[in-house]
Amino acid sequence: MTDPLAACVREEWGRLMALLLARFRRLDLVEDALGDAVERAARSWGDAPPDNPSAWLLATARRRILDQLRHEEVVRRKQPLLAIEARASYEMDPLGTEVDDDLLRLVLMCAHPALEPEAASALSLRLVLGVATADIARLFLVGEPTVAARITRAKKRIVGAGVPFRVPDAAALPPRIDTVAQTAYLAFTAGYAPGSGPDLLRADLAGEAIRLVRVALGLRPEEPALVALLALQLLQHARRDARARHGRLVLLADQDRDRWHRDEIAEAQALLESDAVRRPMSALAASYLLQARIAAEHARALTADDTRWGRIVELYDALLRLTASPSARLARAVAVAEARGPAEGLAALAAIEPMGNHRLDTVRAELLARDGQTDAARAAYDQAIALCRNEVETAHLRRRRADLDTRI
Amino acid sequence: MKYLVLLMDDGDERPWNEMTDAEQGELMAKFGAFDAVCAAREGVEILSGEALGAPETFTTVRTRGGHVQLTDGPYAEAIEGLGGFYLVEVPDLDVLLEVITELPAYDLQLVPALEMPE
Repeated sequence: MTDPLAACVREEWGRLMALLLARFRRLDLVEDALGDAVERAARSWGDAPPDNPSAWLLATARRRILDQLRHEEVVRRKQPLLAIEARASYEMDPLGTEVDDDLLRLVLMCAHPALEPEAASALSLRLVLGVATADIARLFLVGEPTVAARITRAKKRIVGAGVPFRVPDAAALPPRIDTVAQTAYLAFTAGYAPGSGPDLLRADLAGEAIRLVRVALGLRPEEPALVALLALQLLQHARRDARARHGRLVLLADQDRDRWHRDEIAEAQALLESDAVRRPMSALAASYLLQARIAAEHARALTADDTRWGRIVELYDALLRLTASPSARLARAVAVAEARGPAEGLAALAAIEPMGNHRLDTVRAELLARDGQTDAARAAYDQAIALCRNEVETAHLRRRRADLDTRI
Repeated sequence: MKYLVLLMDDGDERPWNEMTDAEQGELMAKFGAFDAVCAAREGVEILSGEALGAPETFTTVRTRGGHVQLTDGPYAEAIEGLGGFYLVEVPDLDVLLEVITELPAYDLQLVPALEMPE
């Protein structure tokens, strides 16, 4: 994309938001004013964009905020009894070295633990990256008015509950960085493995979540949680072009590995060898790191048969010591089946409680089929199909069930 | 900003009347620590704070159709365990979240007060 306005919004939105917010502290005015400036630019730039597009947007948004504040002032003077306090100076500091600090404040404010995780994710994509509300709605598979309302509520909550635009003390920062990482991960998984709906992948939008991690990592380059998360996301995202063909899900073993993005895999591998992931880290960071190492094992295998499944089982064992989530235990059972055969995989499955989705029954069906227990496999596929809410995956399950008769 | 800190329920703490004297002493020490931390921190001030009577001593006042009705007990189940409150002045929510870590591990509700015209 060479459109200078689109490029400027993409690169500079978060910085401009942060700068205006640092100056005016009026979350209710700042986003509207910046959005308005972008609209004006779209109308007036034409073929002759200004030399410094971001300065133009900043100045235009700033003028709009000042107009609004003056208007409020006039209203207040007419109603002196409602006057709260005189506003501070409206003058804007020149662009300075504080901008990165302001951007970190913005990232932390949007991912504050007092916000609902979905609201924090939506707000981060909107305010830090300038992602359009319609795209956020598509990512999370909800209506655009829902996202708009969610963002408005989150902004009101920030102002009303007193969420600060401030970097907390060193002691309080690590858990806040973890929340930033979780916020980005939630947005990424929404695009990577949607639980329902017609699209199998919304990879372009998952890419925006990666961009959010890059912004945060640019501000805190040594944070293990961010480094490990970026590696994990890059490794998963690198497979996007191979995961679906003609609207069908392609399993990892069947993917055309030439379609994996090798440059992204290489970047992730370098991150996993960096010093940042060798320092003490939170449990969350460690769980991202182990998941990334598992994904890296798949990435390094040139064919599915080259996969070091024994090593992957070990990594899952370590992951389960950190977080014994049903989905991690399910993934470990799959690895066990690959390393030691379907019967051992089925034994590992037996201890996992129902997960409220189709994944457990899907894996059980596959392993039963491989173990030659066709009738039991058919019943397990039926259960999985009944629980599955993603149309592409349901079609995949129906094909696998139909294949049972020809597999014998 | 001013916040009302409501001490809603025992949370991780055992009920007061099941504690030994020593445990009660430790619990009271945490309130003392909260006082001390708030006093030491710039921009933080405890404006008011009280322990409250048991729910059966509450009186609920409802006005319906111009008639005032009095009933005993709390207004809603949600505050059945309300045991006390602080009114504190702090710069923002994050500072409040830091200083309340001194308090016993009660369930709390943090309610911002609206800034009213002078």
